[in-house]
Amino acid sequence: MSTDVFGALASPVRREILSVLRSGPQPVHALAARFDMRRPSVSEHLRVLREAGLVSEQRDGRLRHYSLEAGPLQQVSDWLSPYERFWRAKLRNLRELLDTDDD
Amino acid sequence: MTEDPRSIRVDEYLAHPPAKIWRALTDPDLLATWLMRNDFRPEVGHRFTFVTDPVPGTDFDGIVRCEVLAIEPERLLRISWAGGPAVSTTVTWRLQPEGRGTRLFLDHEGFDPDDPAAQLARQIMGGGWRSRMMARLQAVLAQ
Repeated sequence: MSTDVFGALASPVRREILSVLRSGPQPVHALAARFDMRRPSVSEHLRVLREAGLVSEQRDGRLRHYSLEAGPLQQVSDWLSPYERFWRAKLRNLRELLDTDDD
Repeated sequence: MTEDPRSIRVDEYLAHPPAKIWRALTDPDLLATWLMRNDFRPEVGHRFTFVTDPVPGTDFDGIVRCEVLAIEPERLLRISWAGGPAVSTTVTWRLQPEGRGTRLFLDHEGFDPDDPAAQLARQIMGGGWRSRMMARLQAVLAQ
């Protein structure tokens, strides 16, 4: 699982931005107005979210719209699957150990 | 994906008697071969660690801190397990004779479903946003 995703989700503001984007794509200025933040601050949060693959950017003339991307969130939603893979791999090791050990 | 968001359950049929599997679970050298380096002793209350490589960029330093919680020879072994995002979890191995071999059950329980990242992901993924997207798509198509 990408650590960038967890890093990006660690910020309450960024989590809030993602929640807002649930209802559809938004331009930067609308997000800035909504969060009562200067546009560069919002842009910085959006950059982190974009680098983590959590949002995508569409350009429409001079406007940039941001949309929620589902893939990485699905990974986080399945947050225990790395542990499940870990244990399945270890149980395979155990089986191999027992099968090769003849006593 | 497992049904209970707080636990992992896996099991494996092994074509060997419980006694042999029990040894692989409780002998530190054998444990190291298939799981991780350790200073395990089969005594309730014994505190020990499993040691592996740290995972760069995460809060996992490669050390799992454990305590032996319960032992029923050739039937059950339960330990506490704290490392990385597994803050306060337990791992239970259960051995059940099956045919000519043994079924080994592993339960890893007690993950924190209130972890903010996991919570938000569930909220967004489970919050019906897919169905809202579909509804919007239908609306667009109907125009």
